[in-house]
This record gives sequence, C-alpha cells and structure tokens, in this order.
Amino acid sequence: MAWAGTVLPMIEAQELTKRYGATVAVDRLSFQVRPGRVTGFLGPNGAGKSTTIRMILGLDTPTGGRALIAGRPYHRLPYPLREVGALLDAGAVHGGLRAGQHLAWLAASNRLPHARVAAVLDRTGLDAVAGKRIRGFSLGMRQRLGIAAALLGDPQILIFDEPVNGLDPEGIAWIRGLMRALAAEGRTILVSSHLMSEMALTADHLLVIGKGRLLADAGIDEFVRSAGASTLEDAYLRLTQDAVQYRSTEVNR
Amino acid sequence: MTAALHAEWIKLRSLRSTYLTMLCALALGTGLGFLDTTSVAHHWTTMSAQDRAAFDPVGNSFTGLAFAQLAFGVLGVLAISTEYGTGMIQTTLAATPRRGILYIAKAVVVGTVALLLGETFAFGTFLLGQAVLTTNHLDVSLTDPSVLRAVSSAGLYLWVVAMVGYGVGALLRHTAAGIAVMFGVIFLAWPAARAMETWSYLPDKLVLSNAADVLGQVHALAVKPRLPSLGLAYLDLLIYLVAALVLGAWRTNRDA
Repeated sequence: MAWAGTVLPMIEAQELTKRYGATVAVDRLSFQVRPGRVTGFLGPNGAGKSTTIRMILGLDTPTGGRALIAGRPYHRLPYPLREVGALLDAGAVHGGLRAGQHLAWLAASNRLPHARVAAVLDRTGLDAVAGKRIRGFSLGMRQRLGIAAALLGDPQILIFDEPVNGLDPEGIAWIRGLMRALAAEGRTILVSSHLMSEMALTADHLLVIGKGRLLADAGIDEFVRSAGASTLEDAYLRLTQDAVQYRSTEVNR
Repeated sequence: MTAALHAEWIKLRSLRSTYLTMLCALALGTGLGFLDTTSVAHHWTTMSAQDRAAFDPVGNSFTGLAFAQLAFGVLGVLAISTEYGTGMIQTTLAATPRRGILYIAKAVVVGTVALLLGETFAFGTFLLGQAVLTTNHLDVSLTDPSVLRAVSSAGLYLWVVAMVGYGVGALLRHTAAGIAVMFGVIFLAWPAARAMETWSYLPDKLVLSNAADVLGQVHALAVKPRLPSLGLAYLDLLIYLVAALVLGAWRTNRDA
C-alpha cells in the first residue's frame, strides 16, 4: 500500500457534536472507520449522517469534539483530494461546466497530474461524454461524475453519501463492485445509505446512528445476530425504532 | 495558493456566463457610447450654449459604461453565487478547505479579468468616442490634462463594481439576490440620494455612480456641485470595495 508513515488511513470522530440553536444534530459521536472494508453508515432521516459527513470534510464546523483524517483535521490536509475522496450529493457541480473541465479544475486545485482526469473518466465510463456540459447529464451520469471526482486524487479514504440514489440496477451493481474493489485494495470506505438490502450486499461493518447518537458499531453479521433478527432490515428497524422522527403506525413491529 | 488560482481560472474561463456577461458589457459599453457621441456630433451646431458648456468629451464617450457596469457587477456576483446555487461549493471546499485561500484566489482571478477588461473597455470606448467627435474637432487626447486620469479611473471603477459584486455574492450566496442588490447599488441609490437632497447633499456624495461620474469626466466638478470631490470619489470606491469584500469574507468563513 502506498500509505506513507505509520498512521492508518482512518476516519475518526471524537465526541463530535453539532448544535443548531437548541437542536442537537450530532451528539458526542465517537467512532473509527478502518481501512480494508466497507463501512455502512446508517440511520433514519435526520439522524445526523449528512451533518457528520460534512464535519468530517470540514464543510461544517463542529460545536464540540473533532473529526480527524489519519490523525489530522480535514482543513490541515495540504492536498485533501489525495487523501480523501467524497461523493456528496450528485448536484454538487456547476451544470455549465463540461465533465472534463470539472475534473480539470479539481485536479489543478490539488496539483494532480492532468492524466488523472482521463484515468477516472475511463474508470467511471464517462470518456465519451467528457466534452459534454454537465447540465445535460442524467442522475446516473452525475453520480458517475461525482465518483470520478472522488477517485481523482487516488485517495486511500473514500466517503460516499447515498451513492445509489436514483441509479438503475446496472449502476447500482457497478457502484457495489467498485466499493468492494476499493476496499479490497486496502482503502477505507464509508458509505451512507437507506437501502438495507443494498447495504447487506456491500458493507462489512456498520455504524448506525439515531438522533445524533451512536446506536451500533459492529460487523454486519454480529449486528443482525445481536438484534435477534433474521435480516439486516429487521435488525435496523428494531434498533432505530425509538430514534426515528416520523413513522406511520403500520411499520411498527 | 497558486493551485487554487489555477483551479479558479479554469472554472471562470470554462463558463459561458463569463463570456456572455462580458459580451453584454462590450455591446452596451461601446454601443451606447458610440450612439451618444454620434448624436452629439450630429447636433453640435444646433445645441444651446449651455449644453455646449456642459459637454464633456471624455464623460460623453462613457455613456454606455453606466450600463456596462451592471454586467461587471453580475460577473462578480456569479463568480461565487453560482457555487452556492448549484451546490458546487461543497466540492470546491472539499478541494480547497482553507476558506481564506479560496476567497482570495477567486477574488484575484475575477479581479484580474475585470480589471483587464474594464481598462480595455474604458480606453476602447474613449478612443471610439474621440474618433466620432473628431468631425467637430471636439475630441481630446490622452495627453490633455486629466484625460488619462479620467479614462483609467473609468476602468478602475468597473473593476470596483465587479469586486463589490463578488463580495455581495459571497455575502448573500444567492444569484438573484446578489444581482438585485447590485442593481440597487448601481442604479437605485442615485434617485434615492436625489430624494434626500432637500436635507443633505451627503448621500449624493456617497453614491457609487456619482463617484463614477466624477472619476470618468474631465470637468464634472465644474458642472455639478453636489457631486463628491475627486478625492472623495476615490474614497467612495475604497469604502464600497472594502465593505463588500469584508462582508463576503465574513460569510465565507461560516458553514457552507
């Protein structure tokens, strides 16, 4: 592995907290995301997943505690894209740019060789549309572009926020294969999703949060077994039933 | 910093909006200025003595810049507001997490483009205007007193408008709101100040477009006593520039 030094390419949250006025979005969250496996990041809507990811990436400032990338806060990374790749929502691009131009400015911002642009366009199957404006892209193509951007710096850590949203079955299978392959290369993969069946196929390890707090940090088999459930979905619903904000009566089991 | 500058330069030159706004500025700036000088050249012999005395050969060729300035303001607003509007700011900040570096890099890139184009427009419209006025021997040369100052200040003013737009765009994080504020600052502040003239000329003296009038003319002071002095006009530019950039920087440092 190309990782320099002895520090593992790990994501770490230490007592991470975010408050918006009286609302506590993330409440003293502590966990480690380790290399070599896919870690699923689960929780009901409003549980604080996106806020946590945004704090890891330095987009939001924690009210308390800290988030570290290989031992350092994100804003201290000299060339962050070389260490962390992130797929946030697929809309986080300017529609007026062409796909190749979008990747070109990203490469320039972190002094990555321009050859990386062609490499990730190829890996995500976007080479044919590199010269097209992003505005005309389908959701699936935008997701692929977001993944191309995440892979641009060949980072050891990858964060995917709802990567399969809006994808067709082929796209879903492709992303699953990609995440498995990246983890097998020894990289650290954190992926948030609401799709339990998809998580059951992709993740090795789970972090489950509810109301901003850590509910579980366990291997996927252990997680299902300890909940006394037969499927991941069952186990998840049992664990989070007190932590959801909105639920219709039929879903209560 | 150079990496961030390079990235921002790629963004700005890749976007069609950059070319569209500057094309609008060019069309309005040179087009309207040309029409105005042509009209003066045609009617000079029938104009009243008073109108002739008020005629400013430099300011007259800058008629179009009064409209072109909105395009410069929009260029500045768009440079940062679209990042928030599209959500790309998340990608940008993930790539350049140090906000101060990002804010300055963007400002330098937009500012350099705006200054180069602003001065080009100022000198271009000046020369075009003088070419038209030659027929009546009304033209002045860059070597005449105050002319170089007036022409280069007109370009400087366009740069200031672009930078104020940038600060406002960063402060509001919203394209339509940013453009509306720029429209107010550029066009609506003037009638508002006029309305207050009964009580004070001070608002007049602090209006950005009045400062532009003073800076972009050779004898504005002699014609309109309610305008700011030349020194105050430069100070006005500085006040708007610093206020907008500081407010924009403050907001940029907050959660995206």
